[in-house]
Amino acid sequence: MIPTLIAISVIVFVIIQLPPGDYLESHIATMQAQGESVDQKKIAFLREQYGLDQPMWQQYLTWATGFAQGDLGYSFEYDLPVREVVGDRMFLTILISVITIIFTWLIAFPIGIYSATHQYSWGDYGLTFIGFIGLATPNFLLALVMLYFANVYFGTSIGGLMDAEFIGQPWSSAKLMSVLEHLWIPVIVIGTSGTAAMIRRLRANLLDELEKQYVVTGRAKGLPPGKLLRKYPLRMALNFFVSDIGNLLPSIISGAEVTAVVLSLPTTGPLLIASLQSQDMYLAGSFLMFLAILTVIGMLVSDLLLAMLDPRIRLQGAPAK
Amino acid sequence: MKFPATRLLAVFISLLSSLVFAESPLLVERVNSGALPAASERLPRSPMVTDLSAMGREPGVPGGDINLLMARSKDTRMLTVYGYARLVGYTPALELQPDIALRLDIEGDRIFTFHLRPGHRWSNGKPFTSEDFRYYWQDIALNEFLSPFGPPEALLVNGEPPIVKIIDEHTVRYSWSAPNPLFAPALAAARPLYIYAPAHYLKGFHASYVGEEKLKAMVEDAGVRNWAGLHTRYGHQYKFDNPDLPTLQPWFSVTPPPSERFIFERNPYFHRTDSKGQQLPYLDRVIVNIGSSGLIPAKTGAGESDLQARYLRLDNYPFLMQGGERNNFSVRLWQMGVGSQMAIYPNLNTTDDVWRALTRDVRFRRALSLAIDRDEINQVIYFGLVNPSANTVLPQSPLYRPEYSSRWSGFDLAAANALLDDIGLSARDSDNLRLLPDGRAMEIVVHSAGESTEQADLLELIHDTWLQLGIKIHTKPSQREIFRERLYSGEAVMSIWTGLDNGLPTANTPPTELAPTNQTQPQWPIWGQHFETAGLTGTAPDMTEVVELVSLLKTWRNSADHDSREAAWEKMLAIHADQVFSIGTVNAVPQPVVVNNRLRNVPEEGIYAWAPGAYFGMYRPDTFWLAP
Repeated sequence: MIPTLIAISVIVFVIIQLPPGDYLESHIATMQAQGESVDQKKIAFLREQYGLDQPMWQQYLTWATGFAQGDLGYSFEYDLPVREVVGDRMFLTILISVITIIFTWLIAFPIGIYSATHQYSWGDYGLTFIGFIGLATPNFLLALVMLYFANVYFGTSIGGLMDAEFIGQPWSSAKLMSVLEHLWIPVIVIGTSGTAAMIRRLRANLLDELEKQYVVTGRAKGLPPGKLLRKYPLRMALNFFVSDIGNLLPSIISGAEVTAVVLSLPTTGPLLIASLQSQDMYLAGSFLMFLAILTVIGMLVSDLLLAMLDPRIRLQGAPAK
Repeated sequence: MKFPATRLLAVFISLLSSLVFAESPLLVERVNSGALPAASERLPRSPMVTDLSAMGREPGVPGGDINLLMARSKDTRMLTVYGYARLVGYTPALELQPDIALRLDIEGDRIFTFHLRPGHRWSNGKPFTSEDFRYYWQDIALNEFLSPFGPPEALLVNGEPPIVKIIDEHTVRYSWSAPNPLFAPALAAARPLYIYAPAHYLKGFHASYVGEEKLKAMVEDAGVRNWAGLHTRYGHQYKFDNPDLPTLQPWFSVTPPPSERFIFERNPYFHRTDSKGQQLPYLDRVIVNIGSSGLIPAKTGAGESDLQARYLRLDNYPFLMQGGERNNFSVRLWQMGVGSQMAIYPNLNTTDDVWRALTRDVRFRRALSLAIDRDEINQVIYFGLVNPSANTVLPQSPLYRPEYSSRWSGFDLAAANALLDDIGLSARDSDNLRLLPDGRAMEIVVHSAGESTEQADLLELIHDTWLQLGIKIHTKPSQREIFRERLYSGEAVMSIWTGLDNGLPTANTPPTELAPTNQTQPQWPIWGQHFETAGLTGTAPDMTEVVELVSLLKTWRNSADHDSREAAWEKMLAIHADQVFSIGTVNAVPQPVVVNNRLRNVPEEGIYAWAPGAYFGMYRPDTFWLAP
């Protein structure tokens, strides 16, 4: 795991540095596009302060050793330590992601089971079709359309996760209501895109199991259909779901970036994209490293879980020892 | 024995004013509880009195909040721009008037004496005096750690720093041996030159005033490299990113970053009043909400901003008008202040020898300019609302002359073709494109930063008319940094960028944009670099007309009187009009300005420009007020 992470950190750092120039160059370019001029002497001073005058390997070492000790580095764009920049956004990101995942499960599970048990029925086709529409509609388009209607018909303020007056205020019931009022749009937008994939996977896995002999035997022995389904094939079909956890963990943190940008959500996604654009390298680098670590941990957790839950996987591994 | 009398008078006035003038709702409680002195005590002894009726505005009532929308948390600096409290500032008539300074005496543009307002205070109530100027000069500008590269450019004349003399508590003098006409405009700029700093606050981060141990702890705490980084981080007067930093602006941020919503409260010690003696600003709070720039037109249309122009474009106009009816705001059309909305720049420093011979040929540049149908551009892209013109100053500028804008900017394909034939480019290929002397077809890649559909539309129209000259253009959009790299390296033969940033100069505005002074100037980046680095890199201009521009700029800098500066400006503008160093398209593009119907004193018409107007700044947002 450790060598993987070190390799990832090198790649991340190199890729962030690949575009020409550095943060200050893109900063000057942004300023000048708006007619603002920047004092070259000030820039030279800042380059020294930010350590951008050092060779790249030295910058990498500074960052990597700091990161290993829990120092995420310094964000040039915000002129603050990365930790402070990310702080508040983390909670809202996790909130949205968790609710979205639950939403996806709530929709996808019944539909998946239904369409597997009623294969090629009207219901199967109809529900799958709806799922595919969700998958096929571009998220940003759906987001914009829903924003517009929510604003015109419900008077919801456009973008963001709460009405402006609650930003930066302590939590209260009114604030919670405001968040809930705004939350359903991103949840539906992000959720619909994931639902179809989930439905198809569950359906395919379940269909495989349903045709196996133990199901036929169970049915022949008179087990009620509901109990039969829940007790045996459904459990077998859940393996894919456990192995999904590895992908789930990083997506909880990154959120759906594009949707978040369109909806201007105060989550970490837009922050990551903006930092990549402005070459705010420590912010972007620490972020990407964080995602990498979560992916690696997620994979580990799902592997362990799979081994624990499914004796076949556990026992197949054993003879190799 | 005058002192007690004035003191008595002050008490009398304060009693009077507390009877007559309402304290703003935000402050009234703090004043009543004694946490804050009354307005008359907070104001300088001679405040800056604004004659509202002379400006055609009505006196207002203090109080109320307005919302603005910005795209990034760094945009909080816009409140320094909108607030526009400067030592001296521009009026809408483009004259400089004292603002923070009570008076500025200028002798021959060499000796500048600032007289401060006695009793003027920082937003935290600490006195604003000549000590703040001394601190900036001695402890910041001359400090080898804080300014390792010396004082800012605008404070140097031929490399020589000023002699700064602190005369008394309220008087400071800057003098040079030669004129420094850049000085006053720099003080009045949207991003001003700061020659003062809140000494009482910043000394807490300065190695000369704080013990080594304590400083070291603070440096580690903040995660910066050294105390210079610490001082710089807490001392950004322009950015509003430190709520503790005292300011002189009308509103100051009380929200520590990062945030999605920044609250700016009124500065209780602000130095301006209206004609009745009511302290400005009228508005209690300005609230800046951060949303992605693409959503800002939609949010504005939904009524979420009370005063918005930033991130709105002309093509949002119909949508905004629709929203205005539902959400009780009006959309005004101000005018943008750039010399040309988009201009095409032939690169005189391109590395391709054949092309360079052409871009340096005035006939070629004139032919390209003549082959742009600016009326068509106006009708197709801008609803016929704009002014077809070369890249030059706007008609509102005192330096404007019609021939600057019309010379070589008519649409005349026959004349353009004749000019190209005259150069000797008469051979054509099977596609009817002209051939270069070395046999290549005349196909030009126009580099663009690719940031707007407006640019793409414009180039599409120009493509069609230039094709009739036998020249084909291809657009190459790239990311902004890459675009600039291509310019600097000379790889780009031609590029598209905005025209003159300041379309409204007066004779006293530095004409730096008209001569090679900066690497970022797309028509001569290498010459600009030569000037910028004082000859270390780049090459010196070798075209007669450009050399003349450089010497005219020098003439302007060294002249101390208005007439000779005006003469220098006129010559430079005439050279540009005749030589077509940049090919302008249209200017005076309307800028939609959304104004809540309750918000008063916002002018119906205005110039929306970074320079010299500081966007809303010149129109004094501190006089805007909310009707109940």
